[in-house]
Formats: sequence, structure tokens, C-alpha cells
Amino acid sequence: MGPLRSISRRHLLRSSACGFGLMGLQSLLAEEGHADPLAAKPPHFAARAKRVIFLFMHGGPSQVDTFDPKPRLTLDHGKPLPFKRPLTFAEGSTGNLLKSPWQFRQHGQSGIPISELFPNVARFADDLCVLRSMVGDSVAHGGAVLQLHTGSNTFTRPSMGSWVVYGLGTENRNLPAFLTLKPGLSHGGAKNWSSGFLPASYQGTAVGHGGVKIDDLTEPIEHLKNTGLSAEQQRYELDMIQKMNRASTERWQQDSELDARIQAFELAFRMQTEAPEAFDISKETEATKKLYGLDGPESRDFGWQCLMARRLAERDVRFIQINHEYGPGNEVGWDAHSELIRLHTRTALQVDRPIAGLLEDLKSRGLLKDTLVVWGGEFGRTPIAQAGDGRDHNPYGYSMWMAGAGVKPGTTYGATDEFGYYAVEDRMHINDLHATILHILGLNHERLTYPYGGRAFRLTDVAGKVATKILA
Amino acid sequence: MRLPFVLLLLTPLQTAGAQTPAAAQADFFEKRVRPILATRCQSCHGAKVQSAGLNLTSAAGFRAFSARLLPAVSYSGPAKMPPTGKLSDGEIAALREWVNMGAPWPESEPAGTPAADFWSFRPVKVPSLPPVKNEGWARNPIDRFVLARLEERGLAPAAPAGKVTLIRRVTYDLTGLPPSEDEVRAFAADASPEGFAKIVDRLLASPRYGERWGRHWLDVARYADSTGADEDHRYPHAWRYRDYVIDAFNRDLPYDRFIREQIAGDLLPDEKGGEVNTAGIVATGFLALGPKLIAEQDKPKMFYDIVDEQIDVTGKAILGLTIACARCHDHKFDPVSTKDYYSLASIFASTKQLAKLEGTVSKLYFAPLVGRDAAEQYESHQQKIEAKKLEIDEVKAEEARRYRDALSPRMAEYMVAARKVYVESAAPADAAKAASLDAALLARWVEYLKPGKERRAHLEPWYQAAPSDLESTARRYQTEFQEVAAKRDKKFQPGDNRFFTEVAAAKGPLGMPDAQRDKPLTAALDAEMAKLKDSAPAEPPFACGVAEGKNVDQRVFVRGNPAALGDPVAKRFPSVLAGENQPPITAGSGRLELAHWLTDARNPLTARVMANRIWQGHFGEGLVRTPSNFGLAGERPSHPELLDWLATEFVARGWSIKALHRLIVLSNTYQMSGAATPEMRELDADNRLLSRFKMRRLAVEEIRDSLLAADGSLDLTMGGSLQKGEGTDKEFSDDRKSPNPDNSTRRTVYLPLRRSNLASMFNLYDFGDATTSTETRAQTNVAPQALFMMNSAFVATRARTLATKVMDDPRGIERAWYLVLGREPEPGERQAARDYLERFPSKSGDGAGRLLAWSSLCRSLMASNDFIYVH
Repeated sequence: MGPLRSISRRHLLRSSACGFGLMGLQSLLAEEGHADPLAAKPPHFAARAKRVIFLFMHGGPSQVDTFDPKPRLTLDHGKPLPFKRPLTFAEGSTGNLLKSPWQFRQHGQSGIPISELFPNVARFADDLCVLRSMVGDSVAHGGAVLQLHTGSNTFTRPSMGSWVVYGLGTENRNLPAFLTLKPGLSHGGAKNWSSGFLPASYQGTAVGHGGVKIDDLTEPIEHLKNTGLSAEQQRYELDMIQKMNRASTERWQQDSELDARIQAFELAFRMQTEAPEAFDISKETEATKKLYGLDGPESRDFGWQCLMARRLAERDVRFIQINHEYGPGNEVGWDAHSELIRLHTRTALQVDRPIAGLLEDLKSRGLLKDTLVVWGGEFGRTPIAQAGDGRDHNPYGYSMWMAGAGVKPGTTYGATDEFGYYAVEDRMHINDLHATILHILGLNHERLTYPYGGRAFRLTDVAGKVATKILA
Repeated sequence: MRLPFVLLLLTPLQTAGAQTPAAAQADFFEKRVRPILATRCQSCHGAKVQSAGLNLTSAAGFRAFSARLLPAVSYSGPAKMPPTGKLSDGEIAALREWVNMGAPWPESEPAGTPAADFWSFRPVKVPSLPPVKNEGWARNPIDRFVLARLEERGLAPAAPAGKVTLIRRVTYDLTGLPPSEDEVRAFAADASPEGFAKIVDRLLASPRYGERWGRHWLDVARYADSTGADEDHRYPHAWRYRDYVIDAFNRDLPYDRFIREQIAGDLLPDEKGGEVNTAGIVATGFLALGPKLIAEQDKPKMFYDIVDEQIDVTGKAILGLTIACARCHDHKFDPVSTKDYYSLASIFASTKQLAKLEGTVSKLYFAPLVGRDAAEQYESHQQKIEAKKLEIDEVKAEEARRYRDALSPRMAEYMVAARKVYVESAAPADAAKAASLDAALLARWVEYLKPGKERRAHLEPWYQAAPSDLESTARRYQTEFQEVAAKRDKKFQPGDNRFFTEVAAAKGPLGMPDAQRDKPLTAALDAEMAKLKDSAPAEPPFACGVAEGKNVDQRVFVRGNPAALGDPVAKRFPSVLAGENQPPITAGSGRLELAHWLTDARNPLTARVMANRIWQGHFGEGLVRTPSNFGLAGERPSHPELLDWLATEFVARGWSIKALHRLIVLSNTYQMSGAATPEMRELDADNRLLSRFKMRRLAVEEIRDSLLAADGSLDLTMGGSLQKGEGTDKEFSDDRKSPNPDNSTRRTVYLPLRRSNLASMFNLYDFGDATTSTETRAQTNVAPQALFMMNSAFVATRARTLATKVMDDPRGIERAWYLVLGREPEPGERQAARDYLERFPSKSGDGAGRLLAWSSLCRSLMASNDFIYVH
């Protein structure tokens, strides 16, 4: 609702009550600046992207087996690590250097090397900006997942998506501004999409969770459907609620709070139609479904999530996160402490086609121009073996990639050492990743602050550098 | 809708838009320069160490160096600083900009004000009562303080609230539940002057009171039933602490004792002279129930994260100070140094926090609630059982090894025969007979070797072996297996061979089947085990608490890093509050001394902070609107004398919280109406002067409890645990969620809180995160809440049950109004309700249609503003 309509409606609303003069109305309108926390807000400077799709790979994909080839690792296979090993998660069960069992090939004009685990994503090599120098602070999932989502590996802070919505608001008021599809319940659980100390309006809305197969997902968003009333009956009921609420506003002559609640009910009523439509993929063509891998039993779940990401992007949802999670049929996902070959082969199979489908579809619909796609896990994996044929956690140097609006396509950024253990060039800490994502959205990470408990907090806390080299 | 925090908590860093040049420079210094100095310079040029005679912690110290700063940091001068690595370009640019400004170095406080003179650090002063014009309005001193400020601004206080409004307000306020129809009617009819006081006494005596106000404290104490963070292990005994808090409020345990017990209850004598102070041990749950990353592998960091969390919650909850900021650098705003911080840290670091820190997942400590002898007896018996189990396991493992080694010499033959079965489809029995192998064993080999859906890298050489190489390949597998078997025993070792691991596993082809075990081998041991178990003492009750630990010699950790040791520190309390001359703490952790110091009547913060929290509970906002930050970055009190008067009364009345409630609730200030006049909107827009009563939205507990009360299904059983199970659950399991509130009709305060996944209703209605100390709940107003009212099964059930209860009663409409809204329907509403029921669009005019219409009416009431707001 635009401001003019808002004034006239409010004017009408008040005309029946004893009005309180121009002064009162002005202060009322001034309050409206605070009345709608989700109203679209201008960025700090020109934005390169309008929205984010974050493809979260819970468990930690191995960088040396996917996007960061290490010939030296192949050469020195089986030898001890020639430098001091940092703290690992499974202290005591790690061994010697383990070469990648997968071949790397250069792809596209850019010649970015990608392993055979991602044959479909590789077709979009020229769209990727591969970040090879990611660094985090936690060697265990709990802290690492929390840090990737909130910037802190210890405390509860607002999540990245909440900060983005706090900074920019949303352009579609009939859908939540921040949605996370099938998130995990472990390693921080809901803290990873919570608004922390930001007002609850900014919290992410979870659709299902990691343990639910999409075919068993009956209600994507809670409380969207009324099971007892027909649409007509519900409208009838809502009219009664609103009538009582308007009477209450008049009786108490209170500030805009009571009025805001009237609006919330109308918005809720519209969401009941808009949201199920957004989640209904029945009108998508078979070709589209196939593009996303919905026809494959392995890729069906993640394919649905990727397709949903595109549908939500089309509907101007600001922050869309889709999660590859631990779960029935996925076991431990990317978290291959042993049996790297079996687990990574299967997990890649589950996500490769859907992700490629998403990139292709976003491109052909022109959405990649204003959408930033981010791919990655909470850390990478060690170049040394664990339990003989697995890899342990490695937050010291690992890969993520970005694609779409705001980043240089067909490039790599940063580098790890010759074994792929430590980031050594253009190190990109998670705080830097956050600063860069905010920057691409037109937000200065140092200015996006919120006062809490006596100080101004930011997503990047006291750190964060924008990786200017990757900006398009 | 409002954003309370945005409006109310403007910190010095937040006012950039409208600040003076000096303030902008100060802001620049605090934001951009001081952090560089603190993290990159002051470890060598600070208060403790002054390399090259430089102290960069003050303006005076800096002046000696000012000309050399830029050459040094840009590495262009003779000294290249910091020597550990050049600053980033951005940092150097910030320093250059700062120098160009003339290197302004703002003092933390306006010049000339020593930090110790800051209002909240000064002793509480008994204020004199201010004169007022309208003497008649001032029922007690609270009113005088409020009225004096209003009169100063030429405002008159709002008229008294109507009786129906007032009884609903005070009943929700003190019990979190609505008044009954009888209570409302009786109060409306009671013209006596003591009528209201009698209601207040009744409410304060009700057990419902502790359930409401105890919850306020549980917010501050960040109470939850699991560790949160990574593994989210249950705190199986957390509920005892919750029940303790509710009980403490109900029996009006003096606040000073309440605090002492929560910090050091295990060290205090039992109130009733018993051997073990069980209530005291339970109370230390305040320290023990914080979030813990128990799977963190950096164990020293993890331990000091726990210590830090305890300093944080203690500082915020009790002192209203953000002490934990000083973990890495001297506090930016408050006079709390890193040394102060580690002095406190040494107290909590000398406290027993965990049963076992080492190990991939650290083990939580549960404090036994029985005497030392009984606890030790139980513990040593459990250890005997554990030892016996290990003994039995070892015998079994040895037997399994013999079984395995007896069979491995013919492994290659079994592999070849198995292949005949799963590749050439030979009949298993024939294949076994042909090679004179055991048929059952062969079947297990077939089961293991036949290719499945997934690739097994270690079996690839076997699958890809040419027919002519099959036997030699199988022999290689056998040799490798036997080599590994000879080298290692039961424990899994790095670099282990997956083929060996799988084949020798209990379910593998060479794993010992339980049925083949030689039972008599362990018969004697099994009997001993059974006897041990039979004679085991019963498990004593436990609490999630702390105990005295090993005394540590604490040092400052430079920049918070446990590996970077600075100066040693003694156990002490922050100098700004406790002074420089403190009696040394010579024995024990120091928690007992800390508990006594916190609750010393001379401590300027403890009583003020709690009096302010109680005020906030009644009025929605505190006199200080940053209730957990009374430091320099916090807000100043709107009525400082009133706050000091309340703090004085609080201590003088034996730290009685109920006495403070009575004083506040019986004041005219509390009993004002919420209606704002145009003058109030203009001169007291945000109600800082308390010209009227501020309406509030019900909290999630009140919403749920009231709806359960409305349809008569609220179960008022008190205490105990509704949480099942121990430890944690599979990563993707539904069991990681907090139990669904729809499955219980108990009061919401008793629902278990799994920190990582709170029930969605809690998130929906601003419960907070149960992980950090919550000073104020937000009161948002968003569409998903409306969806909950319109569509949730919970509200639908409440509405239907209520409809069933009242629809056949001639007073049905009136009763529904009272049960949900606590008042009589207005004449217009009565008619509207009748019309609503009559015209409800329903195809069936039968009973089902009628129930539907009534349920819908009841839901409308539940969804209305008049339900969810208290005026």
C-alpha cells in the first residue's frame, strides 16, 4: 500500500472517531515510519544485486575434490603432511596426505578447473566466481555453521538473512522476506535463521526441515490453511475480527500499534492465497522439472528446492536459502569422515543437476542479472586422510563460489597452499564473505548496525573486508 | 507497529545523523581508531608494558608519539609498527584521517568526570520527596516523584483507569492470567477503598504469581533445558532450577539471598539445617544452564567460553554491566579493565563446570542432591559396573578375535565361491558343497560382497579382477586382512583398512554371531554383573549446577586468546565498584565472596538494577530503559530519585520483591488510564514522563495460558519435568525440536525449551532466544501471528471447546466475552454477535453448522485486539 492510499484510508478510519487534529495526525504518520519494519528501504549505495540465493552444503564439501585441484597432493599421496597439522575435529584419527580420487578438467572459456563430481555445474564455469581462500574459525560443525550464518561461532546473533531484510525490507508483502527451505535442526538449528536480537519480523521462515522428504511436506508454511472454514466463511469471520479491532482502536485511541494489527490480518489473508500459489509447482512444465532433476530419485528433493528458489526469486523474496542437509537417504551429506568416494559421489549426484538447472533457468529468465547465488558449506575438508578413506573438517582454507549479479563471472579468487590446507592468498574470512555479500546488495557492513545491550552490533561485528577484486 | 529497540536503545554509536562535529569525531575515534590501538598497539604500548616508553592507552601517552605514528604504521620510517605485520590499507587510512582531524581523543566521560562518579556507580542516596501542587493525587511517594516531573512540564496525570480495565491489568500483570467473571463483577461492585488492595494481596498470594514473575527472572537468567549451540544436549535436571525460581518468588525469598544462592548456593548452609543444601545446589543452575558448545575441539577456548558466558550473565542480570566486553580489550565505555575481567574469570575458572572437558564431546556435570557419602557410594558402585562391563567386553572381543582368526585362512576360497553365487547365480548350497565350505558362512560372504546401489572403492579391485586373476586377487585381500589383523587389536586406528573394518565388524562375514558365542565363557562375569546391578544404590536426584573446582592461577589472556598469557591476576571484584583495597580471597573458588559482595547493601548496582526490573515488569519499560546496561553506554534513568527511592525501600524492606510490588501497584501512577490527551501526545509522546498507562501486548505465555483458561482446559499442576530422554538426538530427527506445545495443557512456563529449536509459537510471539540474557521482550505485530490466530489447530481447538461450553447457555455470548476478554459485551457487540451467529454462511442449518458459527465467533474474540492487548 502506497503512502497516499494509506493517508486516505487512515483519514477515513479516523473521521468517524473524534479526530485529534493535524498535530495528532502528523505524529501518527511520523510513527508510521516505524510502523512497517518490512517496508522496502533504499540501500546505502547502488546495489548490484536485489536478492540472494544461498545454497548451503551442510557438512562441508571437500575443496580439493571439487573446485581446488592440487597436483602436489596427487604427487605426495600417502606421505606425511610436511608441516605441522592444525587442530582437527577428530584428533588422533587423521593420517597422511590423500589424493583426490576425482579428475579435474578445465571448463568453458575461462578454463576454471572443476572435478568430475560436478559435470553439470561445470557447464556454467564461465558464470562462476570461485572463492578458493575461505577461512572460518571453528573446526566443529556447531560453531562453524553458526558462524557462516550469523558471523559469530559462539554467541547467538541475528542471521545473515535477517540482517539483509533488516537493511532492505521487502518488495513482496504477501510472502515472507526471508525463507529457508528444509534447514537442519542441528548445529545451531533455528539459530541459523533467527533474527536474534533484531525484532522478530526479520526472522527467517522455515519450510520443512532437513529430515522431511519434500513429498511428505504437506504444509510448506505453518498455519497457511484453514481446515475448518470455507473461503467465504473465513472472510465473514475476518470481517468480524476487523470490525471489533476498529472499534477497539477507536475506544482506546491508542497509537498506530492497534491499527498495525488490523493491517497484519489483511496481509495474512492475502498470504493464504499467494503463498500456496508460490509453492505449487504443478503448472511448471515437465521440461522444467527435468531441468532441475525432479525426475531423478537422488536429485528430486534438492531439485524441488532449487526450483522453489527460482519461483521465490521471481516473486521478489529477498533472501532465499536452500539447504542440503543430513537426513534419511542423505546420511551425513557432505560430512565424509570416512568413505569419501561413496559419500561425495552420492551427495554430488543429489545436488549437481539441480544447481545447474537453477543457474540455467535463472539465466534464461533474466533473473541472474539481479540475483546473487552463493554456494558452499561451513568449512572444507582436510587434504589428509581420516580413518583411511575419509577427510576431516578444514576451516583453514576451503572453497565456495558465487554467481550472478555483482561478481566477476568466470574467475577464481584467492588460493590455498599446494596441498589445499591453508588459504594463503587473498584470504576471505567468513566475516569478509558477509561484508562482500552486503556490499553487493548495496549495504555498507559497517553502517548496517543495530543497538543492543549497550552497543551497536553488526553482522561482521568488528571485522570484515569487502573483497573488492571479485566485484563486477 | 513499533520497534521498541530502535527507538529506545540509541547508543552513542547510533546517533551519527544528528551529532555535533565533536561527537562525530569521537564516534570516528571509537569506531575506527580505538579498536586498532587496542588490538594492534596496546599489548606492547599499554598500561602494563610500555615498549620504547610509550603508553598508547591515553591521549597524554599518545602525544609523545603523535609525529611518529604515520611513518611507523606505513612502514616508511625507521620503526615499522606493528612488527607482527603491516596494518591494512583501510586501517592506515583511518589513522591518517584521524591525525588530519588533529588526533582528537575523547575521554569516555565528559572531561573532569571520573568514571567512579558516574550515576550508577555512586552509592544509592535516600532522596527527599519533591513538593507537588496536586497533593491529593499523590497516594504514595512514587506518585510524588512522578507527579513532580509531570507538573514541571505542565502536564496532569491521566484519569484513573476504569475498574474492569484495572482488574484485568493487575491480574495479568501479577499472574499472567485473566480475572474470572466473578472476580470482575465482585470488584466492580465493591465500593470500599480497600477493594483493590485486597485483590493485590490475593494475587500475590496465588501460586500463579511465581509462575508469572519467576518467568521474568528466567528470561534474565537465559533459562533453557538444553545446551543449544552444536549438539544441543538436554539438561535433564534443568527443571529443578526453574521450579526453584518459581518457588522463590512465591515465598518471597529475599532477593539478596536469592542471588547468593544462585552464585554460591552449594557453599551456603541449608536453610533448614539439613546436611545438604539442595535448594542452594539447584540454584547454581543460574551459572550452569548456559549455552555450551560441548563439541568444540579447542578445549581451552571452550572452557573459557563457559566462564565468559557466566561473567556475561552475572554482570548483566545482577549488576546491569556488560563486563564480558573486557575479555579481549579494556571496556570501551565502562571502567572495566581486562584485568578486572580475568580477576572475575579466575573465580569461575576455579569452579567445576563439566564432569569431563576432554573428549570429542565434553561431558556435562550433574550435581548430586545427596550427602557426600551417599553420592560417593553411588558413584563408586557405578564405576564398578562400568569396569565389569569392560571386563566382559574384553572377553567377548577376545572370543571374536579367535573366531575371526580361525576363519580368515580360508577367506579367499569363500570370496571366490561367493562370487559364483552372486555373479553366476549358482545355488548357495551347491557352491558351498563344491568347495567344502560352510553354507551359512558363505551366505554371509555373499551378502557382504554382492554389489549394492553404492560404489565401494575398497571392493573395486575385486569387482574388476579378470576371471583369471580372481583367486590371486582374493588371496591378496586375505593377506592384507591377516596383516592388519596381526598388527592391531580392538581399537580403531588411524589409517585403518576399510575392508578389514567391515569384514571383521559384528555384522560382517567374519564378525562373531551372537548365537555362536560360548556363553559359559562369560557366565561367571555375567553373574557378577547381575549381582552388582542388583546391589546398586538407587540413583540419587541430580541438579544441573556447579561445584568447587580446581584452583587455577589465572593470567590475563592477551586479546582473549588462552594461549597468549599476560600478567597473573588475583581473584578480585571490579575496582570501580569494589575499590582498590579488597580483602584477598585465599581459599576456594571465591564464589562465596562474590555472592556476598554482589548482595552487600553498599553495592550501588544490585538493588537499583532489580528495582528497575520490577518497575519494568509493571509498566513495560524501566525507569532505565536499558535494564541490563547501567553502564556509560546505557540509558540514564528518567526518574533517578524515584529509582533510588525504590532501591532504598527494597533493601529496607528486607529485599522483599512482593513489598515492592505492593508499593508500585497501589500507587496512583499504576492505576492511571491509558488514554492520551493531545497535550500528552505533544509533551510526552513516548510516555517517558509516565503521564498515562502504556498498553502492552500479551506475552506468548499469557496468550497460550489464557486461551487454555478460556476453554477450561488449563492444567494448573505445578513443577516437574515434561522433557523426556537424555543426551541429544540424530541431526535430522524431529526429536531435536522442543516438544510441541499443542500436546500439553500445562502452563507455558513448564514447557521444555530445547534451545536450538524452540517451538514455533515461541518464535512467533517474541519469546526471545533463551540463549542470551533477555532484558526486554519485543512486542511485534506481524502477519504470521495473524495466520496463527486464524488457522492454527491450537486456536481452532480452543475456540471449538469454548463454543461447546457456552453455546447452549442463554448467557452464552456474555460468558464467551468474559472468558476471553474479561468484560461484558457492550450493547452493540451483543447485537453484532447475535447477528453474526444468525447470518453465518453455513449450508447446514443443523447442529454442526451452529457449532461452526459459535466456534467462529469465539475465534474472532480470541483474534481480537481486545484479547491480546492489556490496557
